[in-house]
Amino acid sequence: MIPPFLQERRYQFAVLAFIVSALLPVIVGSNQYYRTVLILMLIFIIYASAWNFLTFSGQGSLGHAAFFGLGGYFSSLIAIQFGFPLIIAIFAGACVTAGIGVLIGMTCVRLREWFLAMVTFGFAVIIQTLIVISQLSPITGGWDGFAVPKFIPSSIPGSPFIEYYCILGIAAGSILLFHLLLKSKIGLALAAIRENEMEAKASGINPVPFKLFAFGVSSFITAIAGALEVCHFGYISPEIFGTDISFWPIIYSITGGLGTLAGPIIGTIVISLLWEGLNALGFTYERFIVIGILLILTIIFLPKGLVSLPERLKNLKRIKTGDEK
Amino acid sequence: MDLHIEIITQVLFWGLYTGCIYLLLATGLNLIFGVMKIVNFAHGEFLMLGTYITFFLFVMSGFNPYVLLCASIPLLVVIGVIIERLCFRPILGTGKLNEIFVSIGLIYIIQNLVARIWTDEWKTIQSPFRDISVVLGVIQVPLDYLIIMAVTAILLIGLYIFLHHTWTGRAIRATSQDRKGAMLMGINVERMDMVTFGIGAALAGAAGTLWAVSGQVFNPYMGSIPAIKAFAIIILGGLGSIPGAIVGGLAVGLVENGTAFTLGGAWKDAVSFILLIIVLIIRPTGLFGEDSE
Repeated sequence: MIPPFLQERRYQFAVLAFIVSALLPVIVGSNQYYRTVLILMLIFIIYASAWNFLTFSGQGSLGHAAFFGLGGYFSSLIAIQFGFPLIIAIFAGACVTAGIGVLIGMTCVRLREWFLAMVTFGFAVIIQTLIVISQLSPITGGWDGFAVPKFIPSSIPGSPFIEYYCILGIAAGSILLFHLLLKSKIGLALAAIRENEMEAKASGINPVPFKLFAFGVSSFITAIAGALEVCHFGYISPEIFGTDISFWPIIYSITGGLGTLAGPIIGTIVISLLWEGLNALGFTYERFIVIGILLILTIIFLPKGLVSLPERLKNLKRIKTGDEK
Repeated sequence: MDLHIEIITQVLFWGLYTGCIYLLLATGLNLIFGVMKIVNFAHGEFLMLGTYITFFLFVMSGFNPYVLLCASIPLLVVIGVIIERLCFRPILGTGKLNEIFVSIGLIYIIQNLVARIWTDEWKTIQSPFRDISVVLGVIQVPLDYLIIMAVTAILLIGLYIFLHHTWTGRAIRATSQDRKGAMLMGINVERMDMVTFGIGAALAGAAGTLWAVSGQVFNPYMGSIPAIKAFAIIILGGLGSIPGAIVGGLAVGLVENGTAFTLGGAWKDAVSFILLIIVLIIRPTGLFGEDSE
């Protein structure tokens, strides 16, 4: 007996993707390099999906590293300073970050696109400055950062596998959360605001709480991704607020396909594989150039991202064979 | 801490000098925004490219770097035009923020292309006047700084004359005021886009050269932060307003150096954004911006 929702094509794909990703560590085995690549890929899928969720409300952020880094800092500081278990610390850190996200969102709701982009970028710089200034450096370690406990202590047998499956669970959970949110009334309201804010207002939707909600959810999930990343490496430093960290989810989401749930996932997988492949071949600088060119080509020739590629090819074929329908 | 008049004047002077770099960047950015209604986030990469082109010519020929500006500025115009044709023309009029995403791609391409050619180590350009300083009232300033301010002023006057007293300049201003109207008057607006982008890139390149000649070290990643600040400046001064960009550039230069002096160097980058955010909370469309709705 197949549950009715599984009859839809996209759910079949989702379940298939989940099964494949659950089998991957078994195939890869004990190779640590591949495992790290897989774990980072999952973390960045969570991060890129969270960034992408914000764009569903018509807002784009250029400073999501602020939340990524704050999630890492708050979680590890709560775990170290107060001695909470890491799971609780990550959750608490994400809640605090979501609060800050809503505060930042409050300064942004009235702003137009370019201004919003600037302000979010500015917040990443300001927060980095706050972390490294001398008054706070006894706690934050200044530019040097500090060591963070591992997500799963390596004394436990099979810890890399447990870590992988935990992160896979969190990734699947957050994507499911985004899916349910977008299917609900909230998702409809967000779409209305994104398409035309004036008309949304006219039909009785107050955009402010919805935009703040999107900011809160996005920063919450981003913070979890950040906490997972620092726990994976066992180290945190203010470089986590760098522009690169802000730009990666944008690159992933856009090459994958903006405004779709699958976009950030596919984008992350394709770009990370390309990145690691070029790295293995020894192209240190060229890999940035390749990815930059790929990004620009996608925006110009495939505005809906790689997810729209099969459809585009189908259309092209139909035009070529002259099969007009 | 005792505040002497010399120290204050010194800080003000430093601010003015930093402001010159910012205002050149911001003016170019604003010119481009006015005509094309896009924001080029990769503007700092032109600053960096200008620096490296001057550096390359300097190493090759050994001429005075200020003279080499005459060679690097036209080169930057050409590069700007090429980038406009290849990357920005195809996305003109498509979705919001697309130009920012294209710029992110450009940032990666240009930075790493330069790093590939000249490595990413810190480099310097030695100015022939680096040991000469001039007594100016109560303070002593390096001659280079004075030359930089003079060159900035010359470039701005040149830009003013170009925009107000040549046919192309007038056409650019017309396009920036009303694109459709300009088109109906027989102006080739797409050519104006190209020219404007080239000029903007050249101003940024000049800013980079001046920055490097004054004794600052540079590497391929130097451009991002000044460009973002230039963007903050044009929001402060009003999108599309060139006097706003000049005043804003000098103001941010002064504020930055003032804070670095009073609060410490760590605050240097953050303070312009704090200023920006405060302004935007009070006036969401910028200091001199018009209300949109």
